[in-house]
Amino acid sequence: MFLNDEEKKMLDGEYGRATQQAMSMLMALGEIYDVPRMVPISSAHLGGRSYTIGGAEAIEWLQDLLSGGAYCRVFTTYNPGSADLIQYEKMGIPEDLVENQKKMDECYRKMGVYPIGTCLAYMSGNVPLFGEHFSWGGSAGATFVNSVFGARGNREGSPSALAASLTGVTPEYGLHITENRYGKLLVRISGLKFEELSEGDWSALGYFIGRQAGDRTPVVVGLPERLDQETIRAFIAPMPTGGSVGMCHLVGITPEAATKEAAFGGLQPEEETLVGPKGIQRGYELLNTTWNDHIDLVALGCPHVTMAKLRKIAEYMEGKKVHPAVRLWVATSAQIKLIAERMGLVESLEKSGAVVATELCVAPGAPFHHVPGVKTVATDTARGAFFIPGACKVDVRFGDTQKCLEAALTGRWKD
Amino acid sequence: MKFMIKGRKVMGGAGEGEALVSKEPLSFLGGVDPDTGIVVDKQHDLYGKRITGKVLVFPRGKGSTAGPYTIFAMSKRGNAPVAMINLHSEAIIAIGAVMAGIPLVHCLEENPLERIKTGDYVRVNADEGTLEVEVCSGEKGERE
Repeated sequence: MFLNDEEKKMLDGEYGRATQQAMSMLMALGEIYDVPRMVPISSAHLGGRSYTIGGAEAIEWLQDLLSGGAYCRVFTTYNPGSADLIQYEKMGIPEDLVENQKKMDECYRKMGVYPIGTCLAYMSGNVPLFGEHFSWGGSAGATFVNSVFGARGNREGSPSALAASLTGVTPEYGLHITENRYGKLLVRISGLKFEELSEGDWSALGYFIGRQAGDRTPVVVGLPERLDQETIRAFIAPMPTGGSVGMCHLVGITPEAATKEAAFGGLQPEEETLVGPKGIQRGYELLNTTWNDHIDLVALGCPHVTMAKLRKIAEYMEGKKVHPAVRLWVATSAQIKLIAERMGLVESLEKSGAVVATELCVAPGAPFHHVPGVKTVATDTARGAFFIPGACKVDVRFGDTQKCLEAALTGRWKD
Repeated sequence: MKFMIKGRKVMGGAGEGEALVSKEPLSFLGGVDPDTGIVVDKQHDLYGKRITGKVLVFPRGKGSTAGPYTIFAMSKRGNAPVAMINLHSEAIIAIGAVMAGIPLVHCLEENPLERIKTGDYVRVNADEGTLEVEVCSGEKGERE
């Protein structure tokens, strides 16, 4: 692999042990993917911030890096973690988990990570622009940035995104390269009444398409000419959980997909598939792990809820009460919560018995298994429903936001 | 009897020890106990074997992307292999090897799963990408 003088200095340890290890890690990735050179990045985002994912070993590794002089070279944010660090007590999250999470966060802060823990990093100031290269863990964000902004990056693991942040470069392979960004699978959407689709439906559809795609970048046609950002997010966030999708071309929306032909780079699709109402139904079926109708906790916020969605949830809950045996958690970023506080939405939601949580992941890094009495969790996105059973060893019910909120009021799931 | 095999470095360094050979991809997270170095995945062909201090020869990693942390933990607790050999490494093993400082070589000129037998003594120079294999496995007949 070709390294420039600065990269060689990093590898030779001139900038300390941490930068050296980071460069060795990127070199190792370069070797296994057969990459000729590094490419500079403008932005990094660290996945795996949750203590429930990395555990004590992750803290140990981060402390080791810190003692070796680790410091971010580019704008870097991180994912939500395993606890709301202020409201944990009333949420039933054990204090030792919170203490461990704080230890982990402290390492990241000392490295210069901007301490805003959200999977919607691109809504919190971490915005890679068209054509820029990035290194992000957290596949929902990476897929959105590739598909909607046209910036370039792969789905990274947590250590490799940190290595890229500490060096400011990443191996140039995969979605960093123009030819690899072209679509491979043509997905024709048909037979759907778009105006009737809920966010849950869009995400079930996205999950199903991710499964069809596998590791092939999908190009979707037959959608309405314009989709709002909320819908786009719901649709593409679960694709990386259905398959190993890191980018999706929405013709007319994705900057590199002005036309279907452009999305395929002038080449023919490898395959074509037709997806309709059955795809949505299948998405729901594949992700529900139980037919038990008893719900212990309703978790909304994978990915984190946006301003508009928080408002809808608050409006629905106005004057209603969460069932005393159920917990309702709405997870979002600190910035969105601040605005919601100014609008009186947080107060109103709290009055209903809901918790508006920040710094909290409600899917792959969630603490459900540490909260007493939680056996079945309801959630309204396919992405959440995919991660929760594996990460937290609890059952999941997956339906639209309305169904989830009804379950929060009654403690029962109604199909 | 001794022979050399040439491969490519993923993580540099040197290490030597007895070979432990598996034909199956290995998940470190959930598959190996970092406190003992023992393979605990009941479906795996190394189930019950201790990988500590061995030159671990296996096709590639699999499983959770949190696997590198297990490799790191195993190393911190003194239970890691001294070196690893893969057919073709993937990101979990490559990243774990760098975090833990375990020499890792892949893409060898000959199939290491066939050429190296459990019990052989292997000297790994990952910086050069070379292995020196001393046959002690008592399976010479099978090898020829």
